[in-house]
Amino acid sequence: MLRQIALLPPSLPCLMIIREKHLDAATLLDLCVTVKSRAAGTGAKILVNERADIAAAAALDGVHLQESSCPADKLRSLKGAMLTGKSTHSPDSAMRAVDEGVDYLVFGPVFDTPSKRRFGSPQGTEKLHVVCRTVPVPVFAIGGISPENAALCRSAGAHGIAAISLFNDTSKFPELLKTLEYILVR
Amino acid sequence: MIPSTPFLCYITDESLPMVEIARQALEGGALMIQLRNKTASGEQLYRWAEEIQALCRLHQALFIVNDRVDIAIASGADGVHLGQQDLPAPAARKLLGPDKLLGVSVSSSDEAAAAERNGADYVGFGHIFPTGSKQKHTAPIGPEAIAAVRTATDLPVVAIGGITPQNAFLTLESGASGIAVIAAISRSGSPRKAARSLVDLLEHHH
Repeated sequence: MLRQIALLPPSLPCLMIIREKHLDAATLLDLCVTVKSRAAGTGAKILVNERADIAAAAALDGVHLQESSCPADKLRSLKGAMLTGKSTHSPDSAMRAVDEGVDYLVFGPVFDTPSKRRFGSPQGTEKLHVVCRTVPVPVFAIGGISPENAALCRSAGAHGIAAISLFNDTSKFPELLKTLEYILVR
Repeated sequence: MIPSTPFLCYITDESLPMVEIARQALEGGALMIQLRNKTASGEQLYRWAEEIQALCRLHQALFIVNDRVDIAIASGADGVHLGQQDLPAPAARKLLGPDKLLGVSVSSSDEAAAAERNGADYVGFGHIFPTGSKQKHTAPIGPEAIAAVRTATDLPVVAIGGITPQNAFLTLESGASGIAVIAAISRSGSPRKAARSLVDLLEHHH
């Protein structure tokens, strides 16, 4: 993760979500503080998965919630100026998240991917389009995203894309970011 | 806010039904419930917190959430209880504000003194006796250690770890302000009766 941050170009607008479910809160807080300080001077906003308290304690840019997380509207007093986003796996769930007042949504899996099969069959770009058209917040497409299909997500109305394993190979990371920036930002 | 006479705290575990056992602990006279569950989702914790908080209000007992300051604030809990691997006490205090209760688990006088410096309102001290509720890598510290820790801190000391109706008086004689139990209530045939017998003992001792 720290290697990825070091490779981020200063201009690229992006969200980086720290998701380390195996860490205890004290260790996760330390990691969040480190990542936040290393990200200074980049265009990256740093968020942590699930824990609004840790996000606030580390002065991060936001918290990213799951469908199984504490409802976003109940975290309002902790949230302050932080961004709150939520992963959603159906149009209905996306609407509920909007009602809870989230600032952005991650929607998927759009395409088939092994890591997201537990969230059911792929939603496809049509449902992505429905969600993007319906909700008033930016939507990030997730699940099987590649440079080849990122443009399809963009055409369906997605504000951006989200991925995990796509970014794992740091040797290809800078080139990949350039490609994605070209597809998404042009 | 912490009861001034010896009190019973029931800490939930994975035993279900979570809310029903907490209800019975309150009916048996527990004055503090700590919601602790390391595997449940945030949404599930929040739902339990809402229900148990309402029951605690009804019984004029304190409701404390373990580890998750976010869930405590979301549910309007009376406070948070932190282990040594959870958020550091100063960070939690900053999020909670000055009025909420902050408890910290300690296993030595040094940790107790540090907890007090860091804004804790009470310490959970243990494990006093052998216990099967949590994986422990150290030997029980014994009830005599409570007297020693009381010289290191002015905070109320809540004894935890393997406490039963048979041995609870030993912790009180050493100066414990309260006792916290898991299995003595959750694994008993009747959580209400188990809580009642511990509370009787606390009141009798007082």
